[in-house]
Amino acid sequence: MADAMQPLPLSALAGSITPGRKGRRSGGPGVLVEEVRPSGIATIIARQGQTEALAAKVRLDLGCDLPLKPRRVDSAGVALIWAGPGRWLALAAADHVDAPFAADLETRLSGLASVMDQGHALSLLRLSGPRVRDALAKGFPIDLHPRAFGPDDAAITLVSHITAHIWQTRADPVYEVAVARSLAASFWHWLEASAAEYGLQIEGG
Amino acid sequence: MRIPCVYCGERGHEEFAYLGDATVQRPDASSATAAEWHDYGYVRDNPSGSHRELWQHVSGCRAWLVVTRDTRTHAILSVEAARDVALSREKAAP
Repeated sequence: MADAMQPLPLSALAGSITPGRKGRRSGGPGVLVEEVRPSGIATIIARQGQTEALAAKVRLDLGCDLPLKPRRVDSAGVALIWAGPGRWLALAAADHVDAPFAADLETRLSGLASVMDQGHALSLLRLSGPRVRDALAKGFPIDLHPRAFGPDDAAITLVSHITAHIWQTRADPVYEVAVARSLAASFWHWLEASAAEYGLQIEGG
Repeated sequence: MRIPCVYCGERGHEEFAYLGDATVQRPDASSATAAEWHDYGYVRDNPSGSHRELWQHVSGCRAWLVVTRDTRTHAILSVEAARDVALSREKAAP
């Protein structure tokens, strides 16, 4: 199916996110970051009065329950993250084969939801490491302590004047953050400055 | 000031945008007089104490909220989804 795949858009962080170490050099890195490049990104917005029918269709097609509060579900290579009342962000894993993803979703959910391709609109980062929570606490004004925010919890909030959508994928902890690609460089600047004292390891490239 | 969004929980007011008075209602376009439009457009009470206001959680879930706030102390007395308020208003006076 490789020939049916659309090429990934150029990263909004091209030139910034070069593999290597930033900030404190001694000891192991406190924060690890890599860019996430899903093969498809889309927003799903339920049509008026169709949320229940949409949830039933999602259960049938993807085998998961549409989250009705700030949570994330992951099934069959597709993650659905609550993005507001009646609105979700859908991410296709890098090896997802139903391309183009948004058009496929639009067909499946026809009449139940509006689907918008966001493949060129968002920039995603995956953050982990022993000090990741300390670094994020400098900008995220929400409680990320495990008793308040755990795996599959999600939130949309304001970081350094930038609207950021965050969710946790693993208890280690591992977080993913989505920001508008036009603000990705500003968010990256905030992240580099905030993680510098712990040592920031940039992976991939 | 912190506002407990009905969808996201308690957040700082910097995540919200303020619209204004949530008690005014748009007049019936087919029968309203110029004076009624003037009142709807420009005339607002300035209560000292409890006030119902429209806020949008614009840097969060983007939902519109009806926030009941004490204008003297900034205490938030209640928060409802504006959608629910509009639907119950519609039900009360169809």
